[in-house]
Amino acid sequence: MGIGSVDETRWTVRVTAVPQGGVRAHVRKFSFEAGAPLSFDVEHPAVTALEYLLGALGVDIASGIRHLARKRRVEVDDVEVVVHGRLGDPLRFLRAVGAEGDPALEWIEAKVYISSLEDERIVSSLWDEVLAVAPVVNTLRKATRLDLVYQQVL
Amino acid sequence: MTKPITLGAVLYDPKVSVIWEIICDFFDQNGVPVDPVFFTNYERQVDTLIAGSIDVAWNSPLAWLDTQRRSSNEFRAVAMRDTDRDRTSCFVVRKGSGIERLADLRGKTVAMGAADSPQATLIPIEVLRRAGLAAGSDYQVQRFDVLVGKHGDHIGGERDAFQALAGGKAEASTMLDLNWQTWTADGTINADEFTVVASTGTFDHCVFALRRDFPQDVVERWTAALLSMSYDNPKHREMMDMEGLKAWVPGRTSGFELLTSAVEHQRFFGRTS
Repeated sequence: MGIGSVDETRWTVRVTAVPQGGVRAHVRKFSFEAGAPLSFDVEHPAVTALEYLLGALGVDIASGIRHLARKRRVEVDDVEVVVHGRLGDPLRFLRAVGAEGDPALEWIEAKVYISSLEDERIVSSLWDEVLAVAPVVNTLRKATRLDLVYQQVL
Repeated sequence: MTKPITLGAVLYDPKVSVIWEIICDFFDQNGVPVDPVFFTNYERQVDTLIAGSIDVAWNSPLAWLDTQRRSSNEFRAVAMRDTDRDRTSCFVVRKGSGIERLADLRGKTVAMGAADSPQATLIPIEVLRRAGLAAGSDYQVQRFDVLVGKHGDHIGGERDAFQALAGGKAEASTMLDLNWQTWTADGTINADEFTVVASTGTFDHCVFALRRDFPQDVVERWTAALLSMSYDNPKHREMMDMEGLKAWVPGRTSGFELLTSAVEHQRFFGRTS
């Protein structure tokens, strides 16, 4: 008898929006605040949906590297991921009259800095293996232009 | 609940929406609710304003003239920024170039902004015409059509024009006086290398355009709220800094003579492109 079932491969997040404007996502025993779908205001009071999405990509990569490095017994110190995203037509989101472009992210770039004294080939192999199975990376690859680059730093 | 006033604004950058959201929040707090309607270009905004689908529009000077031209003067300019009044445009040249007056631009290339920029293209061409220089025959215009349709709101055209001057591809460039001031202050332009050889006469810039038959009591409440915005109030100051003003002032239409003459002589509204 196996230990898993079809239902166990499905993840659930519950999100509630209250009249006062707050949005909260609940997952397992955790929850987090969220703001607008996206904002052009640097003073926007909460993390937006778009920023969570970009953050999820960064977590997928950074955590994936950390997890696999431990498993492969590869010594990795710090991992840092800087993610940039650009919308096809931001004025579509603002419902500007005449804006007819794509409101989706047309491009996402993640620059990854892996601090390790290991041989370059070992780190490169680790990178390839992480990307091959990273769920967020592979989802976004099907949806938009995704540029991923890494740099090994000593 | 009072029916909100619908206010049109063109976005030359998505971040501009933040300014309008703050302004609309301010009106809400002052009991004159305003709903913003954003546009990608002034032509669509003027279409919508004249059709009556929005109540008031933040119009560029060119959009103001277009609105009046197409509506037989059915609109009035109810308010503007203090910084919209008495602007000038500068003709910038490299120091030591031998260009000391507008007449010296004969046979030269002048880098300008977008085709529909009042301050960086239309008015400078008009001023050169009055100085006896015709574009295309007496001098060449090198245009930088950044975001055409937004009437030069975006500074990119003027910046690119200056880069053409700095790079030796033009002998002069045009820009709004405020941009000359800003760029020489922040180091974008080295004032030791470049100078203003001439300035245009004064002209006015943006205005809130409102249909003349709009209910007067609503206009008065809306205008009173707008003019009550104070730079001394920190909450107001943030938005006013973003929008580049120290005070809102009553609108006037006496500052469009240069641009009116420019669009007539350049047959701007008769163009097909």
